[in-house]
Amino acid sequence: MTIKEKHSNRRTVSKMSYEENKPMAFERTGSVESSYRVYDGEKVGICYSIGEISDEEGFARAQADPERARPYPFTPETGGERKRDKSESTVTDRELMDVAGEYMQYIIEKYPQFTFSGNFTTERCRYALTSDLGTDFEEADACFGAGIMFKHKDSRDIIDGSFGFNMRTLDDGEVFRTMADLYLGQYETPAEVPEEILLCIQYYSLTGTISDELNAETLALGTSHLTGKVGEQVFSEDFTLEHDVTDKEAWFGRFWDGEGCVIEGDKLVLIENGVIKTGFSDKRVAKKYGVPHTKSAGHNYSDLPYPGGLNLRIRRSDKTIRELMAGRPAIIPLNCTGSPMDNKGNMSMIINTSLLWDGERVVGRLPEFRVNMNFFDVLGKDYIGVGSDDSPFYHDKVILLKGYRV
Amino acid sequence: MGEKFHFPKDLYADIRIEEKYTVNLFNFNGELVNDRATQENGALIRVYDGKLWYTTSTNELDRLQEELDALAELAQPNPAVYDDPAIRLLEVNRDERLLYEGDKLADIARQRFLDVIDYYVGACIEDEMPEVNSWSVGAGGEYMKKSFYSSKGSEIVYDYQMCAGGVWYTLGNNGQPMNSGKQLFGVTPEELTGHEAEILAERERYIDFIKNAVDVEPGEYTCVLSPITTAMFAHESFGHKSEADFMLNDKTLRDEWVLGKKVGSDLVSICDSGDMPNHGYIPYDDEGTKARETWLIKDGVLTGRLHDAHSAAALEEGLTGNCRAQSYRKRPVVRMTNTFLQAGKDSFEDIIADTKDGIYVYMVSDGTGSATFVMNATICYRIRDGKICEPLRVHMLTGSVFQTLFDIDRVGSDFELFDTYTCGKMNQMVRVSAGGPSIRVRKLQVS
Repeated sequence: MTIKEKHSNRRTVSKMSYEENKPMAFERTGSVESSYRVYDGEKVGICYSIGEISDEEGFARAQADPERARPYPFTPETGGERKRDKSESTVTDRELMDVAGEYMQYIIEKYPQFTFSGNFTTERCRYALTSDLGTDFEEADACFGAGIMFKHKDSRDIIDGSFGFNMRTLDDGEVFRTMADLYLGQYETPAEVPEEILLCIQYYSLTGTISDELNAETLALGTSHLTGKVGEQVFSEDFTLEHDVTDKEAWFGRFWDGEGCVIEGDKLVLIENGVIKTGFSDKRVAKKYGVPHTKSAGHNYSDLPYPGGLNLRIRRSDKTIRELMAGRPAIIPLNCTGSPMDNKGNMSMIINTSLLWDGERVVGRLPEFRVNMNFFDVLGKDYIGVGSDDSPFYHDKVILLKGYRV
Repeated sequence: MGEKFHFPKDLYADIRIEEKYTVNLFNFNGELVNDRATQENGALIRVYDGKLWYTTSTNELDRLQEELDALAELAQPNPAVYDDPAIRLLEVNRDERLLYEGDKLADIARQRFLDVIDYYVGACIEDEMPEVNSWSVGAGGEYMKKSFYSSKGSEIVYDYQMCAGGVWYTLGNNGQPMNSGKQLFGVTPEELTGHEAEILAERERYIDFIKNAVDVEPGEYTCVLSPITTAMFAHESFGHKSEADFMLNDKTLRDEWVLGKKVGSDLVSICDSGDMPNHGYIPYDDEGTKARETWLIKDGVLTGRLHDAHSAAALEEGLTGNCRAQSYRKRPVVRMTNTFLQAGKDSFEDIIADTKDGIYVYMVSDGTGSATFVMNATICYRIRDGKICEPLRVHMLTGSVFQTLFDIDRVGSDFELFDTYTCGKMNQMVRVSAGGPSIRVRKLQVS
């Protein structure tokens, strides 16, 4: 007996682009991707399609080449029906162009000493999973986003910094104006690098690194820095990391994983109060290495799933960003590059341009400097926390952590 | 080829069609975890009315005329659009360059890729590898047929094929893993074979590094860069500054990068060319401009920069064939292709022997190109009294592009061009090559 399953993703994007203060292009794209899968209990035939095709043709193509059928000795999920729509509003192309014009006019007129390039985007996405076992999942989301790069007219660099945000409901421009004023208002005021380096940043690159280290397969093979440390207190007691598909702060997520599995309560705690609770796995890795199946398969439309696809978030502190700063100024990097961590977990970062923020106002712009950090320390003794409030620099949550100037 | 599309009146328009076939097979620790072949067809349509570009992408190649007509409805017809300086500059080319019809990727049997994987599993994976915690062997490739039609009359079709593979190891040492390996390129799967000696030597080098490397004392050092490091230096430190789209209305940068200015030592010459049979091969760019050799620096003097039609018109310079997009889903912008620092006369051995105190940078992982450029190092060695000494753990090499090009005082004859690069800019990744010989730089910041 065979079981048929279809994963699909419909996406539309409209984008208004500016280059060096001038409108450059209006771009519109639409795409449909589908993965038709036919399971026989031992193997799965897969047809990955870009563009519209009929379900009949998709399933036929999934079974057309037995040589390419992939081993999959697992039973597909019977998930029932569940639908979620996180989108809040619709921004028309005309509104997008008008808003882009208004926002650009604001920064060009108020900050003539800079040139600006960037994009204003609306994106709408609808994911679906259906199977003849009765699974009928759907998740939709839509957002408006702005991303601005700026360059001071006296600078010898190509770009001096950038800012941007996403939001589901377009506001009256307050978020954009506040952000622009924070980044640009005191840019020309020189400030001194403080003795204690307290970085205030978004944490997505950091959780990406942690994700690589918590893959149950790399833990089992000894290729993770965290191998042998499951159950141990490795990080700060204040640090809790979870995969959270309820997260409204994440964009274009799905509540099911690449194998159609749904986590109980939509949350999986990976690190709790600094103690590593578990690595994450899909069905193949769980079976192969005898580890718990955490329903964490990435969405791979053209082949077998793999462990991944997590929406990791660091649990917020009870304290606000200012309370976490405790009177110390924080550094907001504008243009920086970090090194990958070495085999000891050490990393370097050069911060070309940054702002010094005292919690209420921007003090000024800092000269270029370098910091060293260690992966275990950043989330251990140098971890300060994620504020309970959003930062106006990012319209998003931020992490505060310490670095060491070199 | 005949008129394929009916282009709208009083507007400039072009259509870029991409038909891409991709194969990817990947053996991880003895298990074939990837085995896929995918076909993706799509097109980007652009319309320009003299004020704004309007673009749309689609996978429905039988509906291109309808999509073009719908897009034209958004634009404002402009009888003078062909007098626009950028549009006037655009070339009209008619050409067909299909080089891979004989052994096209879609016609290559899956077994030929599996044979490459079996070859390297046999040659490079032993039963006992105490320092190796996991390994992987991959083989695959990409074939692209690109067609371009414009309302000025261009009709261009060309193709490109690259097979790629490699062997990678994750080496373990008391919970401190490190990755090593080597990526391989060729036009057919069989061209990927025959590199086992290099792969095993590289693995031994990394094992030695893990066991013996010491932390660098941060500071300023004379550095000898290996050819792959020079390649990244040429691309990151200078190459991105040669992309003209960032300086169109910026007096500071136009003054800084004025042609004819001395920007480096006499030993420095840097070139970009899309018409080389490498990873950055584009015989025509995504505006239909024919690729050509552009010397960016010649004997230390700034002699050229990279353009699309818009930037070339704004700066009143010639087209260079560097307008590229990641795929049919993206609008093209100014990008590098195959970029290299020209070889000199010194042997590598002489450069090392002539260096009393410094660092040999053997391998880097990635880099960025601000005014202070960054290269992240993976394998370095101390140089003392003209000899390569102990392995050195270095994270980052930095320098000022305005100074470092002047600080190059030795240029080797051991030129290599590397197809391993993918370059990111404005959320678009494109395939490029970068090359160069060993060079010596009098001072770089090392941490």
